Amino acid sequence: MRFILRMAARELRSSWRRVAFFFVCVAVGVAAIVALRSLIQNVRAALAAEARTLLAADVSVRTDRPWSDAVRRAVDRRLADVVPRRRTEIVDLTTMVRAAGDADARARVVELRGVREAFPFYGRFELAGGRRYAFDLLRAHGALVAPELLAQLGLQVGDALLIGDVAFTIRGVILAEPGRRLGAFSFGPRVLVDYAAVEETGLLAFASRANRQLLLQVPEPAIEPLVTALRAELQDELVRVGSYRGTESRIERNLERTENYLSLIGFVIVILGGLGVWSVTRVFVQQRLHSVAVLKCLGATGGRVLAVYVTQVALLGASGSLLGVALARLALAAVPERLAAQAATAAGLTTVATDLTGSAMAQGVAVGLLVSLLFALAPLLEVRHAKPLLLLRRDAVRPAAGIDWPRAAALGLAGAGLIAVAVWQAASLEVGLYVSGGFAAVATALHLIGRGLVRAAAPLERAPWFALRHAALSLSRPGNQTRVILLAVGLGSFFIIGVRAMQTNLLGNFDRELRDDAPDMFLIDIQQDQAAGVRAVLAAAAGEAPQLIPVLRARITGVDGRRVSFDSPSGARRAGLGREYTVTYRASLAENERVVAGRFWDDVPAAEPEISIEENLRDEQGLELGDTVRFDVLGRQIAARVTSVREVRWDDTRSGGFMFVFRPGSFGDAPHTYIAFVQGPAAGAARARLQRDVVARYPNVSVIDGLAVLDTLRRVLDYVTLAISVVGGVALFSGGLILVGAVAMTRFQRIHEAAIFRTLGANARLLALMLVLEYGVLGILAGGVGSLGALILTWALARHVFEIAWFPSLLANVSGVFVTAAVVGCVGVAASVDVLRRKPLATLRAE
Amino acid sequence: MIELRGVSKTVASGGRPLTILHPIDLSAPSGQFLSIVGPSGSGKSTLLGLIAGLDTPSTGEIAIDGVEITGLDEDRLARLRGAKIGFVFQFFHLIPSLTALENVLVPLEIAGAGRAADKAAALLRDVGLTARGHHYPSQLSGGEQQRVAIARALANDPPILLADEPTGNLDSANGRHVVDLLLDVNRTRRTTIVMVTHDRELTDRADVVLAMRDGRTC
Repeated sequence: MRFILRMAARELRSSWRRVAFFFVCVAVGVAAIVALRSLIQNVRAALAAEARTLLAADVSVRTDRPWSDAVRRAVDRRLADVVPRRRTEIVDLTTMVRAAGDADARARVVELRGVREAFPFYGRFELAGGRRYAFDLLRAHGALVAPELLAQLGLQVGDALLIGDVAFTIRGVILAEPGRRLGAFSFGPRVLVDYAAVEETGLLAFASRANRQLLLQVPEPAIEPLVTALRAELQDELVRVGSYRGTESRIERNLERTENYLSLIGFVIVILGGLGVWSVTRVFVQQRLHSVAVLKCLGATGGRVLAVYVTQVALLGASGSLLGVALARLALAAVPERLAAQAATAAGLTTVATDLTGSAMAQGVAVGLLVSLLFALAPLLEVRHAKPLLLLRRDAVRPAAGIDWPRAAALGLAGAGLIAVAVWQAASLEVGLYVSGGFAAVATALHLIGRGLVRAAAPLERAPWFALRHAALSLSRPGNQTRVILLAVGLGSFFIIGVRAMQTNLLGNFDRELRDDAPDMFLIDIQQDQAAGVRAVLAAAAGEAPQLIPVLRARITGVDGRRVSFDSPSGARRAGLGREYTVTYRASLAENERVVAGRFWDDVPAAEPEISIEENLRDEQGLELGDTVRFDVLGRQIAARVTSVREVRWDDTRSGGFMFVFRPGSFGDAPHTYIAFVQGPAAGAARARLQRDVVARYPNVSVIDGLAVLDTLRRVLDYVTLAISVVGGVALFSGGLILVGAVAMTRFQRIHEAAIFRTLGANARLLALMLVLEYGVLGILAGGVGSLGALILTWALARHVFEIAWFPSLLANVSGVFVTAAVVGCVGVAASVDVLRRKPLATLRAE
Repeated sequence: MIELRGVSKTVASGGRPLTILHPIDLSAPSGQFLSIVGPSGSGKSTLLGLIAGLDTPSTGEIAIDGVEITGLDEDRLARLRGAKIGFVFQFFHLIPSLTALENVLVPLEIAGAGRAADKAAALLRDVGLTARGHHYPSQLSGGEQQRVAIARALANDPPILLADEPTGNLDSANGRHVVDLLLDVNRTRRTTIVMVTHDRELTDRADVVLAMRDGRTC
């Protein structure tokens, strides 16, 4: 053992400079794993400490309908035995607000919350200027608002805000609030008012999209029994009962999944480093065959020699991994305290630590070490073929004919080991297999493209121009690292070009959709008595009267069907039909629809209710032609027979899309609201005016601007693109390191060649030109690999995942190839400068 | 000490068998200085490789210090070499990444010998290189490298020393120094030496000279 450790340490002393770059790649991946895992584990720890503030209560009962007597009675009865107890109510709705006293004021969509005095039971509001929150701020039509609303409407504290028809005074700015769920999607900025004042606005008129919550504070041991009892008793009511623990465990599960998936990004980068390790080990072993033969001649057995080199790789892998931990520490330390605090606030938490966690460090180091060893194993087995006879006869190394079983076993072990590490990191067999399979597929595809391109460049080896000819020949020199560089650098540029091209494709498609005659403004919650008025306002602004689509909100309470049958809302939940559906009725198909089974009704109203279902309800939920579906529509029970199945083109928004369409007459005179899709004016000012005009006359109507939504989408896409580009950048960086390492590995050979070229009359300029051409060609090939891979990826994603028209993004592809070529060219030449400086005589003498 | 009975070596060359060493019997008792001479391609190095267990004979048997080595596997042969055979090569074959002292240490460490560092230092002193112990092979002259190789070969005090043209790559002064060292080892340690050489001076001082041509003794 002492011999093994000492020999490994001595070998490292002389070789670490040449092989270190590859292990720095491992370090970069380990750093990503450790930093991302630590960050999310810190969020999880903070979450566990502040779980109650996420719900602001112990137990919540929520519904989208006004409270029914049955629900209230059940809650009262169950609470009667629990002492001590407190209860309060809140209501949330998405609505429009505008500045009061200004006829030209803009209107904005906000998330309005009405609270009573006892709210919140846990957590606290944080207001701008260090003011303390008190319910008094909300009394007498006071409002607290999120800072972005002030900016959007040009208001300040003290100004008045119109919600519905009621004016509120802005009394403060909310920076953080309890009860805002982690990662919850938001339609607009928060506005907080008194519950009673929300009732005054008239916005809670029936059919409004209000979400009501009953919040309870009870002793810890009473929580679970209370939740269980309420759930059992209210299972057929349209309410959801949950505790802070449920919220916590749901977010916890999501966070855990996020942590595992993010760590896979690090894993992929470690794998890139692993490819580098594999490549360098191959060359390294070739260079060490002589030393291995000497050791064997001096009495070392094959196993001990192998152990020396495995130990060496383990030491390098461990050093790389520890370096990765240090990099992660630096990365997290570099997060400014203010940014961390802001992120914590956004997540609804007071603080999130930026320390590395023990488990993240252990996992990072273990992954780095394992991947290094697994990738090095097969090439290291080559030391078995170094016979001591080599010292007497140079031709003595003959690889045995036939299959090398130990090597095949090592390759199998490495493959299985890598899949196991992926499964471990993803904490899911399925995801681990997908990631391994996906990476293998991408790597194979890029490798094949690389081979194809190298072959296509082969004629350059016969080019009449000396420098170009030798640059091309260098790509296939013995011990070349062309394949691994093409793969690593190609993968980096593949990520970056791919995501940029995909972004261009997606935005291009949205733009096209909006450019035509597609609607870009959406109106919701138009009451029946407002329909004519709204239509008139829209007609005045847009030129033509838009079609208003009647909508009702319905829940399924039962199905008599061939494949599915149940008779309660809880049954619907189990069948995956538990949500509230927005339904409509009409006499004909919309432009974006087509009947795929059954027959759509004619325009004669029928006595018996009929429905047409979207095809997914048939394919996924098992509804069939002829089934009877029972709905609860605002308390009214309607049983309708399925008479047709429709295919809906969801990407065509002109007519909306509905899962259930009823035959006219099915609802009798049930009250309903309307929605409208219109193409608004092109100019921003005219759009704002239209929004304002509608809201001024009909304050309960929400006017959502599609262009603003597109802007949000564009911003989200920008973030996603940036995130994937960063991953691609890190991959490209790893590729750069592998390139520098590859140059270092073949340095002696290059110096020797340069010396011979010089003695044959080549000057430094010619040698430099050869280097520039060699790395330029290599860079163009690597960029080509990434670009071709990206073309295939975007085509497949566009056609099969997003189902949109595909067009090649020329700018992203061409600039990607050139940037990659420039990066590879500069890095390669910079790493080879000393080849140009060496004097030929010294080199040849040393031979 | 060394016994060869009917040992031959045939290899495939261009798809046909080529005998590079015809059956040979050889016996070298303990303490003998045996010199093998002959032109290039006569089978000298092949014979040396077979005695060292670096190659397996096509026919015949080889015994080293009473141990039959023809049936041993690679690892057992390696252990046998570590314990019983020291090597000196024409091209020194030092490990370039190790210092002179570390090169001498390697066989001691492989054998798990105690006080390895002291022994290695003593051996370097014996070959007159105490001051050069921390130099790498590339920083040593050819003669110095060969003296390090001799110190390394003697590290485990082997009963047999095999040398493949040890002076072939040295100038005459350095060659003489190396010859004196080897003869001193043979005399003081009673080490059996088998040496392939073209050096007349060395041949003259050998106990027995084996001349070879075309894979046969002559």
